[in-house]
Amino acid sequence: MTNTAQTIDPALYAAVTDAIRAEAKKVLEAGAAAAVVGWQAGRRQGTAMPAIITDPAKVAELIFSPACVNNLALYLSKAKKEIRARGRIAIVVKGCDLKALVGLMGENQLKREDLHVIGVVCAGVQRAGAAKDIPLSEETIAGKCRECTVHTPEGADVTVGTLPDLPHFTPVESEELSRLEAMTPAQRWSFWKEHFARCIRCYACRQVCPFCYCEQCLCDRNRPQAVETTPRPAGNMAWHIVRAMHLAGRCAGCAECERVCPMDIPLNLLNRKMAKELKELYGHEAGFEVKEKGPLAQYREDDDQSFIK
Amino acid sequence: MHAHKENHAFEPKIVAFVCTWCTYAGADLAGTARLQYPANTRVVKFPCTGRIDPVFILRAFQKGADGVLVSGCHPGDCHYMAGNFHARRRFAAFRALLDFIGVDLNRLQFSWVSAAEGGKWVEVATELTERVRAMGPMREFRELETEEQWSGAIDTPELQAAYEAIP
Ligand code: SF4
Ligand code: SF4
Repeated sequence: MTNTAQTIDPALYAAVTDAIRAEAKKVLEAGAAAAVVGWQAGRRQGTAMPAIITDPAKVAELIFSPACVNNLALYLSKAKKEIRARGRIAIVVKGCDLKALVGLMGENQLKREDLHVIGVVCAGVQRAGAAKDIPLSEETIAGKCRECTVHTPEGADVTVGTLPDLPHFTPVESEELSRLEAMTPAQRWSFWKEHFARCIRCYACRQVCPFCYCEQCLCDRNRPQAVETTPRPAGNMAWHIVRAMHLAGRCAGCAECERVCPMDIPLNLLNRKMAKELKELYGHEAGFEVKEKGPLAQYREDDDQSFIK
Repeated sequence: MHAHKENHAFEPKIVAFVCTWCTYAGADLAGTARLQYPANTRVVKFPCTGRIDPVFILRAFQKGADGVLVSGCHPGDCHYMAGNFHARRRFAAFRALLDFIGVDLNRLQFSWVSAAEGGKWVEVATELTERVRAMGPMREFRELETEEQWSGAIDTPELQAAYEAIP
């Protein structure tokens, strides 16, 4: 089934918006959740931002649109304790966000019974910097959504929306990954060196990541210091290697890090690569099923050791 | 074996992260047995390979190592039962990451050396030293240490003109 229009029918978002409001009203009125974490319209036309609604009279503020980029699972991580302290929380998630939520459950950060999960069928969201308020197209859709495999979340308490026919988009992220894999190590080094050198160490990528919930990040420690904190090429390289390594086997692929990066560093490329490697090595993939242990928190006696002498 | 000592133009720095129970004892055995191997290896002892954080390897390269060796007990022999099994997975992932970043994996060697394998220790240390010697110094990380990044690159004719106009 192909969509000849090459754009995504906005009707899905309107239908999902209504369903989210109805569900939020229901759970808040019934007392099944103390708060609903969702999205609301931003101050500028065609934008959206995270919202926490506690009053059933205010559910009409909730929306779903191609601007609802934020992965709200972030608001349930240990880094945002005050939200969970409110009690049972209802949360609106897209497929990719739900994978992050499932990952947090696997790491014993959240209990499924403490959540009311409202899954939304999602056809895609905008890429950073795209023009607002027009139907999503090849130009405006986010890279991750072009090759999304989780349009319909599974295992939520309710799932709202029906997926329309989607146009075929070029999978730019996997194409870029293959391009890099085909390079020589020296070419890859200069590719990353150039990108990492621009990093200003604002740590937006870390702050937005649902899995970066460490109370003290290794990269902030200075006794002893493992990673230089000055935004110079040496420390930046170390920061990016540490970030990718600490997320390996945990990252759910929501690509929020790349979206928030003010320097346009292709962080999801690293995440994708690590996800691919861990799938090849240990058959692990982020999904909708809670796994007791991640691929780097367990082992098998017959794991590959061809690289060890 | 030590009849003739060569003078090399380049002596690589090799950092070896080893576990105390197997490889360190193996290296010790090589010493008491008076086995000869290049003196380029600097041994750093850990309780277990499971304690060797990938960031140590990174740090070694950044501080000037030309090659890194990580070695511990054979699978099944870990003093803490499973430390080396966990390490094996972690290093498999870390290797893949370094490779993707563009580090030549020939500079990084992993091995299992037991307390009885003094000979294997000599073999592994010698092989890595000679391989790295042939490759030459590890320039990438060291160069980064000395580089600065100027966010305002003078990369347009207008900026260049403005820059030149500064008295
Ligand atoms: S990756 Fe899939 S579920 Fe996530 S925003 Fe894009 S289309 Fe929606
Ligand atoms: S968001 Fe971008 S610039 Fe900021 S620390 Fe992360 S990679 Fe660096």
